[in-house]
Amino acid sequence: MSDYIALAKQELSVTPIPAASIEPGAAPGRLSHALESVSVWIVLLLFWAVASVHLPQGENPLLPSPVITAQALWESLPDLWAGTLSSLAILIPGFALATLLGVVSGLTVGTSSRLQRVFLPFAQVAGPVPPTVYIPYAIAILPTFKLSAIFVVFIGAFWPIFQNSVAGANALEQRYRDNARILGLTRFEYQRRVVFPAALPHIFTGMAVGLAFSFILLTVAELFGANAGLGRFVQYYADFADYPRMVAGILYTGLVTFLAMTLLDAVRRRALFWLQ
Amino acid sequence: MHIPEGALVSLLGARGSGKTTLLRLAAGLNAVSSGRLTWNGVAVVGPSLQRGVVFQDYALFPWLSVVDNIEIAIAKAKPTVRKAERLVEAGQYLRDLGLETAIGKYPGELSGGMRQRAAIARALALGSPLLLLDEPFGALDPVNRARLQDLLLEVWELARPRKTIVFVTHDVDEAIYLGDRLIVLGSSPGRVIADLAVPLERPRERRSLLDSHSLHGLREQVAATLLEDTLQRLKAA
Repeated sequence: MSDYIALAKQELSVTPIPAASIEPGAAPGRLSHALESVSVWIVLLLFWAVASVHLPQGENPLLPSPVITAQALWESLPDLWAGTLSSLAILIPGFALATLLGVVSGLTVGTSSRLQRVFLPFAQVAGPVPPTVYIPYAIAILPTFKLSAIFVVFIGAFWPIFQNSVAGANALEQRYRDNARILGLTRFEYQRRVVFPAALPHIFTGMAVGLAFSFILLTVAELFGANAGLGRFVQYYADFADYPRMVAGILYTGLVTFLAMTLLDAVRRRALFWLQ
Repeated sequence: MHIPEGALVSLLGARGSGKTTLLRLAAGLNAVSSGRLTWNGVAVVGPSLQRGVVFQDYALFPWLSVVDNIEIAIAKAKPTVRKAERLVEAGQYLRDLGLETAIGKYPGELSGGMRQRAAIARALALGSPLLLLDEPFGALDPVNRARLQDLLLEVWELARPRKTIVFVTHDVDEAIYLGDRLIVLGSSPGRVIADLAVPLERPRERRSLLDSHSLHGLREQVAATLLEDTLQRLKAA
């Protein structure tokens, strides 16, 4: 492939430089890129397999081999699926409520200097309290375990979303504010059509932090009083010293968390397509 | 300073001469701390749809498509018109400015010149009798700049009743080519150091204008004024 530039009736040939010669030693195919990204997994898996066989372990090995774990995982899939549904029934309402209230209150506070003076000092104290400390109290106060767990997930996800929404509203560029004033937007139109979309990158950052917190709080809460769920599954088999199932539960929970974060990231990309 | 209805006035000045501040005051974005600023005899206290603004940086909302950016302006200017009709009207403004291919696109997908066309379309869609333009073509390459200058003149000359335009620029040729009148701001901010009429016929022809004696004379006069202002400031310092 070559293009020509006519320069004073003389033709100069232009040939693109092959990528490989720019980056010496770069692998030529997609296959090798895929290999690069799975190499950590392969090394870890090998290490696990070797360690589980050669470490001196007793009758009930604390580190079950990959094969035994995979078998346990396969056998537990129906239980794990039921646990997933039970956990999501806590996670989704808690996280959704935290997102709704966190964004609405964060943008409202973030666009009013008076509300910031009122609420930010409080948020600075209440926000960093580890939400896990609320768990026993929430279980004592609220009528069902499910409600208490939803509340704890909500508290954990709320603060990062609130704080990032405030930051997003604060970061609104002057030119967009000027523009909104020239158009004569009402306060509600300004919030909905200017502040909210402009703050979306911040909001998604808050949601990602909030979602990670939600999973931590969910599984911790389930250790306290659940009769189902992913955290409960791991704790249950740990109590019986059934380490293959316990490890399978850990791996499965990791996968569910990863899928949830990936889903959120896909939504973020879609919502922020206009960002250059 | 008085700006009559239907005039196209160029506001010329070096960086830091306060021309953007003056424009923001006129738009109602900044408050007047001393002196008096009136629009049709009434003091300016805040922004109004009567006074549209085009900024030097592309201030379209990047999360709205180009047509939605125009539609939001029409929605404010004519709240009783239905959304479908507003979209049709927005499309018409964009076509008038040569943006028919950009209607469904987002500002981030457009070139600087196209974005500035869309910004002008939005200012027109507000239906304001006064347009305040703050170096709207400052970031464009010379070819696009000349095209948009001509487009602006065309839009202004065709509109009835004529819109009043205040065009802020630091480019002497642009100020002369566009304006009926040239107001030059000095380096001690906010001071008018020259207020000149531009004795050129309309419609203006860019090519013949470049050779005209009146343009040369005016340009030299402005350059001399600016130079003298700079020398005085240096002497004072």
